Amino acid sequence: MEDPHTRTLLRELPEPAPETELRLLDVPLREVVELVRIDLPSDELEPLLERGILPGCLLCPLRYSPSGDPIVRVDGSLLALRRETAGCLCVRRGVLPVH
Amino acid sequence: MSTPVPAGIEPVAGDASNGGYIPEDPDDQLLVALIGPPNSGKTTLFNKLTGLRQKVANYPGVTVEKHLGIVRLPDGRDVRLVDLPGVSGFSARSADERITRDVLEGRAAGLEAPDAMVLVVDATRLETQLLLVEPIMELGLPTLLVLNVADELEARNGRLNDQVLGEQFGVEVTRTNARSGRGVDAVREFIASVADAEHPDGSEASSRDSSGAARSDRREPRSRELRNVSHRSSLPLIDVFATRRRIVQGAVAAADYSPAGPSRLTERLDSIFLHRVMGPVCFVVLAVLVFQAIFTWAVPLMDGVELVVAGSGEWLAANLPASWFRDLLIDGVWAGVGSVLVFLPQILILFLFLGILEDSGYMARAAVIADRMMYRVGLQGRAFLPLLSAYACAVPAILSARTVADDRDRLATMFVAPFMTCSARLPVYALLIAAFIPEKPILGPLLGTRAATLLGLYLLGAVAAVSTAFLLKRTLLRGKRSGFVMELPPYRIPSLRTLGLRLVDRSRIFLRRVGRIILAVAIVLWILLQFPRVGGEPPPIDDSALGRTGQLIEPAIAPLGFNWKIGVGLVSSLAAREVIVGTLGTIYGVEDTDETSIQLQAALKRDLDLGGAVALLVFFVFALQCMSTVAVMRRETAGWRWPALQFSYMLALAWVGAFIANRLI
Repeated sequence: MEDPHTRTLLRELPEPAPETELRLLDVPLREVVELVRIDLPSDELEPLLERGILPGCLLCPLRYSPSGDPIVRVDGSLLALRRETAGCLCVRRGVLPVH
Repeated sequence: MSTPVPAGIEPVAGDASNGGYIPEDPDDQLLVALIGPPNSGKTTLFNKLTGLRQKVANYPGVTVEKHLGIVRLPDGRDVRLVDLPGVSGFSARSADERITRDVLEGRAAGLEAPDAMVLVVDATRLETQLLLVEPIMELGLPTLLVLNVADELEARNGRLNDQVLGEQFGVEVTRTNARSGRGVDAVREFIASVADAEHPDGSEASSRDSSGAARSDRREPRSRELRNVSHRSSLPLIDVFATRRRIVQGAVAAADYSPAGPSRLTERLDSIFLHRVMGPVCFVVLAVLVFQAIFTWAVPLMDGVELVVAGSGEWLAANLPASWFRDLLIDGVWAGVGSVLVFLPQILILFLFLGILEDSGYMARAAVIADRMMYRVGLQGRAFLPLLSAYACAVPAILSARTVADDRDRLATMFVAPFMTCSARLPVYALLIAAFIPEKPILGPLLGTRAATLLGLYLLGAVAAVSTAFLLKRTLLRGKRSGFVMELPPYRIPSLRTLGLRLVDRSRIFLRRVGRIILAVAIVLWILLQFPRVGGEPPPIDDSALGRTGQLIEPAIAPLGFNWKIGVGLVSSLAAREVIVGTLGTIYGVEDTDETSIQLQAALKRDLDLGGAVALLVFFVFALQCMSTVAVMRRETAGWRWPALQFSYMLALAWVGAFIANRLI
């Protein structure tokens, strides 16, 4: 799951502090995090935005599918993401769990 | 109907002439639109409100179904209710999204702008669902916001002040449980109050003066255009949605909203159905169950249909005076149409299971399990749903491939969709399997040889689809891989009423096909079997016009183990796959005029050995015998290049596959 390439990219990012920003894929199950940024070209954004995945929303990875793709709770809805997509979601830790 | 798609294909699920009860000039009748995100319970509510007083037609020029129903108000007045396609966005990527947008903005051909809206959202997923429908509430039409399954919100420790939420958006709010029917009367009352406001002078309005007066001061529509949608905004996409989210969050915060806790049932079921080991096992077991049921459950029903067809044929034969008309009716029409009709129970069982799997929420989990394979092949996750719907029919599948954003991915999806086993293949498979594969248990009562063969044929089609997509994505349609996001709806017990109405719909479609294409083919074939006359009598079947034509193509199919009769069946099945069953029914009906009951299986065994039967099955797995599919491909790709390539590729694969099968067995 730890992609060395992603790690390098993260370290090169100027802001915010790399140690507090991580990808959704690195978040342990059942921890609530806040979405900071989506690293996807704009033509691939809309399906995510329509389902409530936009900066500021709270995400909570619940489980992995048999093939290792994360199932995430967003505002009470369950969403299945490809792990490649989840790897493009930059999140922030330290949010109080809502439930 | 002016759809460019030939009549009789699946998505043309009805036509304007068959209702009668819905006035063609509806100026004086109110139109209410029912709108909501997918899986919000919208269709269940529609069925509750209209019952059987509904009909399905197409919007002119597009193959999107228009579900129109009549709501009978308590005082006897009728109001039209249109069930719009589930809203999953307004970007107009799909024909569904475009139609919803056009109807709301009053620009849809074939339907005027609605007078009022009933907006259905799932209360347990309020924020996400409101985010989708927020632009609709801004239209300012009289709107009732229906919070479906609100009882579950409370049961899972959620909380909401309905009245404040309504004030925030300027709409009325009510709670329902569409499945149990709770709160549906409030929806009727809302519609009645709108009707009163529209015709305040009507005598029938007097009983509702109070609520009617409340409505008469309703705001004029603020705008006839959807705002806060990406295609109309100069803002970056992300800001458009951020605006919508801000509005929704402000409103739910004011309404003291606290979301529902996680659903225990959904968590528990997901821990099984999405389990690393149990998930795929359940997937396979469910598939096996469906196929076994198609064979075992259907038997008594099929016997019943067969009895009715054979009995009515015998009765007609005994009671009609001997004439060419009687022969046409009994040997041509009854034998041809009847032999296809027998398969209605199997098709209904298939759709019953598909309906249960879909309405219960399992189908989305199945999509998640299958998605990794789609990714390896190089297809988008969005291609899964079109391909899944191709199990019913390739035509709507090809149309819904519009939801696949990337053009190359979309083409690949459309190209492989006809490999998925559509319901028109089922009668052919069922007939040949029942005739040639003896039933033996493999896994006790769970799986028999016949169901296993059927499962194998479905798998073969899926493998052909996947490998073809793999090939295309590495040659003609090279492109990048992309993401996938899919909503997993909460598990729910499917509504019996919705399942039932779905089966009624399916039966209508099947019977219409039988009544049109198969009837026509049966009549033409019967005539071709009567000439040239020999001494005023019909010729021996090998010397008939049909026999001679069939013998012309025999050299091409003899290596596959087929004789000319099967060849004629293959040619006639170019119109639609299940026609081959009717064709063989007619040929054997004329051949064995003394037999009134349909002994199709026995007759087939004279013309095919096991190798030939397996070859024929394999041929049907691969070949693109469906003119509707070719037509819709031509329209969607704006040219003959892709449908021609698709047709030849699939035909070549079918011939080679059948040849190998015939040699091996």
